[in-house]
Amino acid sequence: MARIVHYLNQFFIGAGGEDAAASPPATQPGPVGPGRRLAQLLGADHEIVATVSCGDDDAAGRPEAIAEIVALIQAAEPDLVVTGPAFTSGRYGLACARVAAAAMATGLPAVAAMHPDNPGIDEAGAAPVVATGEAARLMGAALDVLAAAVAKLLAGGVLTSADGLVGLAPRLPRMADRTAAERAVDLVLARLAGDRDATEVPLPKFDKVTPAPPVTDLAHSTLAILTEGALVPDDNPGSLESARATRWLRYSLAGRETLVPGEWRSVHGGFSTVWANADPHRILPLDAARQLEREGAIGHLHEEFLVTAGNGTSVANARKFGVEWAADLRHSGARAAILTAT
Amino acid sequence: MLTRSIHSVRRVEIGPATAWRDGALTVSPDEAREILGAACLAEVGVSWASPGEAVRIVKVLDVVEPRTKGPGGGGIFPGWLGAASAGGVTHVLRGAAVVVAGYLPRAQEAVIDMCGPAAELSPFGATHNLVIEFTPAAGADWAEVDDALRRGSLALAARLAEAAIDAPPDELETVVDPGPVDGLPRVAAITNLQTQGVFKDVFVRGASFNGQAPALIDPAEIDDGAVVSGQYGHPSLRNPTWAHQNHPVANALRARHGRDLSFAGVVLCPEPVTAGEKARISAAAAQLCADAGFDAVILTKEGGGNADADVALKMDALEDLGIATVGLFAEMAGPDGTGPPIVVAPERATAMVSTGNYDTRLSLPRMDRALGGAELALLGVAATEAMELPTAVILASLGCLGGGRLTCSPPEA
Repeated sequence: MARIVHYLNQFFIGAGGEDAAASPPATQPGPVGPGRRLAQLLGADHEIVATVSCGDDDAAGRPEAIAEIVALIQAAEPDLVVTGPAFTSGRYGLACARVAAAAMATGLPAVAAMHPDNPGIDEAGAAPVVATGEAARLMGAALDVLAAAVAKLLAGGVLTSADGLVGLAPRLPRMADRTAAERAVDLVLARLAGDRDATEVPLPKFDKVTPAPPVTDLAHSTLAILTEGALVPDDNPGSLESARATRWLRYSLAGRETLVPGEWRSVHGGFSTVWANADPHRILPLDAARQLEREGAIGHLHEEFLVTAGNGTSVANARKFGVEWAADLRHSGARAAILTAT
Repeated sequence: MLTRSIHSVRRVEIGPATAWRDGALTVSPDEAREILGAACLAEVGVSWASPGEAVRIVKVLDVVEPRTKGPGGGGIFPGWLGAASAGGVTHVLRGAAVVVAGYLPRAQEAVIDMCGPAAELSPFGATHNLVIEFTPAAGADWAEVDDALRRGSLALAARLAEAAIDAPPDELETVVDPGPVDGLPRVAAITNLQTQGVFKDVFVRGASFNGQAPALIDPAEIDDGAVVSGQYGHPSLRNPTWAHQNHPVANALRARHGRDLSFAGVVLCPEPVTAGEKARISAAAAQLCADAGFDAVILTKEGGGNADADVALKMDALEDLGIATVGLFAEMAGPDGTGPPIVVAPERATAMVSTGNYDTRLSLPRMDRALGGAELALLGVAATEAMELPTAVILASLGCLGGGRLTCSPPEA
């Protein structure tokens, strides 16, 4: 009998939606929610011994949460960890991927399930991820794939794309026989001859983000100001990169009415920062935000700002930052944000 | 009709007088310093860096190929040294380059390695580089320093080529003029120039191309240096003057002229900074190509993700007018090549050529000597150290104009 622990978020254990997104890691015996169907599909040779859960904001927004979740999983002594399916849900996907990656890192086999466009994909580390549809209405098919993958893994198999394994096919550098210009001439002649498909670069697929509904009561909401303009304390204590950022940082605005020139500096490498440094409000409009706070147009200004450098930043990192910022802001009570871009 | 008189540079040295003898180029540092002399420059240094040497050149600004049409400067680098004068004979010191290297504000630090993996990626790992280092005069205006370096390096490049003017050439190359050939498709090049103001600008016939409209240009004039770079942005994605002088798309089209296609011409376009202006310039460029009767266009860019938009918008605008297009793109797909390759992709015109991945990491060896500066400011380490850098930092390594062989593909291809 193989022992399995299933990881789910607050929604799929039935604890609630966004209202319960801050709930801490918890464990309960046996399968819960979609785990019941998964258990049926897995049959008598497998047992879901426990379901570990956590709210999305807590799991994606609090750095210690993943380790706590993994500790609860380990306490149930499983042979394999299953996380999700998370479909296209960003924070949940990130949590499923990170829990699976952390479990693998402790030597515990794990598998995650989510949509191939989920930003969590990049965070799964050594854990395999199997593909699901976009939303929970496709739960049935997702659990079929997941159950088959679990059975194969526990039987000592290796997942392939035939099992739904999500593979990020890398594009690797190499030297062509001829120059890019010479190849371009061939390609343009092929296109003139009617070949509409020939290309060296497939069209990238970008996900489309559905905007959140408008804030209904800004006068009683906490507003955060955020920037990709790389505005940091003058000595850049967090070593924010000027390009190709791999990190984001937070700095306190508590007690500050303005950003004093000389105390702050933009380290962004994609534009001339002279005017930004002469008046940091051009990047982060703290002066205007404080004015709105005094006028009562907003309830409160969030006590810190989040910052990264949006200059050649990879889409994968940008998506991850976005999910982490959303979780972080929700976690700390902000319900509206203005993100300035350069 | 322009003829290139090619003098292949096989050896270089420093000597008392500038001279050319049997493939050997001797440069007089005193003469070079005199040519580069300007009130805003306190000191100018001159040294050679040749292929295979353990030399790293940091803080590279522009690179110029020595060319001349004869003493006096007429016809070469028009607008800088004299007026344009199409046709005739242009003498080329192939295999040599004048490289300006040193600190300027707003310049993104570019690296040339003369050996190791980066040397294979940059065209300037394979040229004998006369490196011009400089110290600005106290209190000098940076824009004046930039201007003096540009004028000086162009004049020096012309002067070096003059040394070979009476020597028998290694080769004569006929530069095909654009024009229709019955029954063959008319294929043109659109060359986008990243024009963003001081230290990030491109000059056409001596004047900034910032704010200009798309314009047809005699491609032989580009051969003679009508396009001069003052673009010190993204090192791997900028087109130094040398790249324009050797315009790879124009040359590739000339090579097929009369056989598979007719070379239809070159259109220069600025890359404005706002989305609205990008769309306006793109529509204007596409209309210009339609009015000129072009059947197909190959587009190139200069710059990072921002510049992808200038290519993508033009590609779609051209295809909407029934003109077949191919765009050259450098990928920004992350260190492992799994990210989306293009920042702004076309929607209807889908034929793209890859010139490599900006994010690919390179392990570069320790060098014996550094030019252009003692430190690689980007990493805060001595410029001679062994270091890991992204391809992004290696000058012209992603050959936006199409001169390189670097590309990307899935592993099975």
